[in-house]
Amino acid sequence: VTPFRGSTAVVGIGQTPYYKRGTSPEPELKLALRAITAAAEDAGIDVRDINGFISYASERSDPAKLMPALGTREVKFASLVWFHGGGLPATLNIAACAILAGQADIVAIYRSMAERSSQRLRVIVAQNDTSPQYLVNGLESPAQILALRAQRLMQHHGVPRSALYATVAASYHHAKNNPRAYGRSVQMSPEVYDQARLISEPYRLFDCSRENDGAACVLVVSSERARHLRQKPAYILSAPMGTMEGGGALEENWRPYYATAGQKELADRMWKESGYTANDVDVAQIYMNMDSMGIGSMIDHGFFAMEDAGAFCTFDNLIAPSGKLPINTSGGDLGEGFIHGMGLLPEAVRQIRGTSTNQVPNAKLSLVTGGPGDLMSSTALLGAQETL
Amino acid sequence: MEYSFEKHKIFGAIEADDQYWRSLEDGEFKLPRCSACKKWTWPAHYRCGSCGAWEFDWVAVEPKGFVFAWTRSQYAFDRVMERKSQIPYVTVVTEIPAAGGARVMGVLKGDDQHLHTGQAVRGTIDVPSEASKWYPSIRWEVIREESRREHRR
Repeated sequence: VTPFRGSTAVVGIGQTPYYKRGTSPEPELKLALRAITAAAEDAGIDVRDINGFISYASERSDPAKLMPALGTREVKFASLVWFHGGGLPATLNIAACAILAGQADIVAIYRSMAERSSQRLRVIVAQNDTSPQYLVNGLESPAQILALRAQRLMQHHGVPRSALYATVAASYHHAKNNPRAYGRSVQMSPEVYDQARLISEPYRLFDCSRENDGAACVLVVSSERARHLRQKPAYILSAPMGTMEGGGALEENWRPYYATAGQKELADRMWKESGYTANDVDVAQIYMNMDSMGIGSMIDHGFFAMEDAGAFCTFDNLIAPSGKLPINTSGGDLGEGFIHGMGLLPEAVRQIRGTSTNQVPNAKLSLVTGGPGDLMSSTALLGAQETL
Repeated sequence: MEYSFEKHKIFGAIEADDQYWRSLEDGEFKLPRCSACKKWTWPAHYRCGSCGAWEFDWVAVEPKGFVFAWTRSQYAFDRVMERKSQIPYVTVVTEIPAAGGARVMGVLKGDDQHLHTGQAVRGTIDVPSEASKWYPSIRWEVIREESRREHRR
C-alpha cells in the first residue's frame, strides 16, 4: 500500500450552469471564481483559506488572476497538468501529492472555459501544437483524428456500431433526470442517432461530446481534515497519470495500442494501488471526447475484452441504478455538457455522497477516467470510507 | 531552390520533419532511419530513442503500404478551411512495411467507396497547393488487386 492511497479526499464541489459554446453571460475568469466559491461553500470552507490551485491543459484562469477576487491569504502551491483532457484525473494526483508532502492544505482543482474569452478550439483545445502532418492532409480537429481510431476499432477490431449507440443512449437517458444537463431535452433514439449529420466518418453528431462554456471545481484536503468537514468525503484511492512506451507524441504511430485509449498500464497501476478490480466498481464516469474512445477506455480498464464490446455495451448494462456498469450518470460529456471533461469529477463525488440525480444505490467505488487517446492520460478511483 | 513549404511554415508538434517535406517537394518520398542502429523513427525526431544516436539518414522508400485507418471528413473544420470545397474528402493513415511499419498520412486519391483497413495503397506526390497549405503532399490510392488479411486482435 502506498502512502498515497486514501490519504486525501474530495470535500467540496462547485459548478456553474453549462452554456452553449460562446454564449456565457460571464467571462471565463468570473466562471472560475463562481465554481471555486461554490465548492468552498459546499465544503464549509472559507474560500480565503484555499492555498493550492491546480488545473490542466491550457487553463487561462490562473491563480494569480483569481487570488485578488477570492481574498486568498496565501498561495502555497500551484500547478498545471500537461496535455489535454488526459490530465483531468491527474489533477487529483498532483493535489494529493502536494498535500501529502506538506506543501498545501486546501487545494482547488478547476477548469473554466468561455469561448469568447479565449478562442477555445484554436488555442485552448489544440494549443496551436498540431503537426503539419495532420494539417496538410485536412485533419485538425480531435473529432477527425479520433475518427481514424474509431475506424480502426470498428473495421479492424470489429467493435459494432451498437456499442457506440448504447453509450450515447445511456448518456442522454441520464441527462433527462439532471436539471443541469445541457442535453436533457434530447429524445435519443436509434433513428435520431443514425440520421444526425456526419461529422468525420464514422462519427455522426451524437458520437461527439458537446462544446460548452462553464466552469467546475472540486476541493481536496487531507483525509484527517476531511473527517471534520460538512460533506461525506470521497477518498482518493488512486489517481495515476502517464503514458507507456510506444505512446506519446507519435501522431498516428502508437503501438501496440491504437484503437483504444492508451490507458491500460495506467489502469493496471490503479487497480494495483487501490487493491480493487474492474469488477468492484459501482459506477464510472468515462471521459468521452468521442464515444468510441470511451469504449476504448473501458476496454483498457478491463471491464470487457475488445471482442465482447458489443455484448457488454448495451443500454441496460450502462444505466443507473442497476446496470452492470452505470456510466456517465450526469449525462457525461455527451449529454450533460463538456468543459474539457471537468463535469465528470463532481459527478463521481456525488455518487459517493449519494446525491446524484441518477444515483447508484450505495455506491462505494466511483471511477473517473481521463481523456482517452490523449498524449498522456490519467484515471482515478474514489471511494467511500468503507473502501479504505 | 526555395521551398514552398518553408515560406508557409506551420509551427507545432516536434518540428523535426523538414527533410520529409523538402524531399517531397523534390519529388521523393523519404523517411528517417537511424544512422547507427538502422531503426526507423516516425514521426521524425532529434535523437534515436532506441540507441541514443543523433544522426538520421533520410532514405528513399517506395510509397506503398496498407490502409491502417481512415476518415471521411464531412465538415469544414476551422484550421483546414482550405479543404472546404473538397468535402467530403478521405484522409488515410498508411502503414508502410518497408519503413518499419511507419504510418504516414495522406489524402486519398481516386475511388473512396468500400474503403477498408488492410487495403493496399500506392502513393503519388502532389505539388504544393492552397488545399495542402502550400506544402507538398503524398496522396494514397487503392491498388485493387492486392490487399492484406490482417488478424483481428
